[in-house]
Amino acid sequence: MRVLVIDPDPARAALVAEGLDGVDPLEVRQTAQFDAAEVASFSPDIIVVACDSADRDTLESLREAGETNPRPVVMFADRSEPGLAEQAIRAGVAAYIVDGLAPARVRPILEVAMTRFSLMQQLRGDLAKAKANLESRKVVDRAKGLLMKERGLDEDAAYKLLRKLAMDTGRPIGAVATDLLAFAGVLKGDAS
Amino acid sequence: MNSLTLGFIPLTDCAPLVVAEAKGFFADEGLDVTLSREASWATIRDKVTVGALDAAHMLAPMALAATAGAGGPVAPMIAPLALAVNGAGVTLSNRLSQALPMGAQSLQEIAGALAAFIDQRRAGGEPPLTFAVVFPYSMHNYALRYWLAEAGVDLDRDVRLVVTPPPRMVEQLRTGQVDGVCVGAPWNAVATRGGLGRVALRTSQFWPAGPDKVLGAGAHFAEDDRLPPLLRALVQAQAWCDVAEHRDELASLLAQPNYVGAAAEAIAPAIGDELIFHRDGAGVPRLEHARWFLAQMRRWKQIGAELDADALIARVYRPDLALAALQATGLGPEALTPPGPLFDGKSFDAG
Repeated sequence: MRVLVIDPDPARAALVAEGLDGVDPLEVRQTAQFDAAEVASFSPDIIVVACDSADRDTLESLREAGETNPRPVVMFADRSEPGLAEQAIRAGVAAYIVDGLAPARVRPILEVAMTRFSLMQQLRGDLAKAKANLESRKVVDRAKGLLMKERGLDEDAAYKLLRKLAMDTGRPIGAVATDLLAFAGVLKGDAS
Repeated sequence: MNSLTLGFIPLTDCAPLVVAEAKGFFADEGLDVTLSREASWATIRDKVTVGALDAAHMLAPMALAATAGAGGPVAPMIAPLALAVNGAGVTLSNRLSQALPMGAQSLQEIAGALAAFIDQRRAGGEPPLTFAVVFPYSMHNYALRYWLAEAGVDLDRDVRLVVTPPPRMVEQLRTGQVDGVCVGAPWNAVATRGGLGRVALRTSQFWPAGPDKVLGAGAHFAEDDRLPPLLRALVQAQAWCDVAEHRDELASLLAQPNYVGAAAEAIAPAIGDELIFHRDGAGVPRLEHARWFLAQMRRWKQIGAELDADALIARVYRPDLALAALQATGLGPEALTPPGPLFDGKSFDAG
């Protein structure tokens, strides 16, 4: 497990390492501030940062930009702000925020964070796929409609024709349907 | 007394909050205010969302993005006051400025020269230039993108955009980690005074009297009894900030390490010249500004096309609350002139 602790104070990284004692293999690296090159070369499984760190905006923008290899980020609030962590979790602001950082709590928190993160990634992927599927189904329906009208086929035959085209060319049926609609448009003069 | 905690980021346009505290405008309205300096915009947004801050110095687009749930959970907010207009700018590193032809003066010419240089680098197989902005939902991000895109730069392919905390941008210009930054006052002035670069764009040229920061609060705060006195205190502080004779005092006040923590000499020049806090309705959050922000969010795919922009703006932007405070304090503008066009002559709602 590779953990990157972004904090000017090395004590926090030491605390994280202590809490993860027994995890093997384990590498805990500490850096005073976010450095894109370091993150890329170290490739951490998880990043730990204080919620009062100036690096939060940078970390958040990476998630925003749909970084190719996103990483879970655990934030912790200092004891100087009692209650903030609970409130933040309740409001759904941050999933991985904890009050203070005690060695005994480090391991379960990091593990939960990583599990939740991969779940979220999977959900996000599923959502994108579902959206793409829906889009593809709409296109297929329109292509079917076009074939029924132009070729005088019934719905079933139109679908079979599309499927055959897809199999013959080894491409997804959505892509074949998109092409068909585009060509029909050109023939009608839409895109001249 | 009514207690309130307000958050701010160390930037010159947090001045109305600092002045309202230092000059007793909060106390005059019966408010006991604690100012809390925060380290990141994300923390400002989160603390406002959970109520750890009652209101805060906030990037104007952040209030809209949080309400729309862009890039995170839905957190309904209001922007009942604009804190200032103008104030941000783009500083190019010395290395980059020197690579551009001397003749380039206007925003279009400089962007054109930049675009040509970027093309040349790409043809030579050199890595893309890196520019830093303060946050994805910010005037800084949108102004930089708009300006470069107008000159034909492909923002996804030709440049690398990163988010960096403002004080650190100055250091990164020095070390060459970034080739340019788009940031608010006083950090462009700090960089140029340190001989680290040249200002290529001021948002006051990009969009005269254009938006930047607002006072942001949770949507529930619209009904809070403490909001009207808070706004009255802040509009009086804004009027105080605009008085030319107050410039040096304001710069010294903000220079303190618990506020902006930069040299007063770097802070002073922008005050009253670039940054306007009150004059000509600067404190009124303009719906036109919000419309432009939403057009940019759409353009850069931060929000979907299906979002009902006008409904969102009506919920977040509350010029009525700012105007009520201005009327109540006798500072109200006689009439509000609608915002003018951008540097390219296009109107605010053009994508």
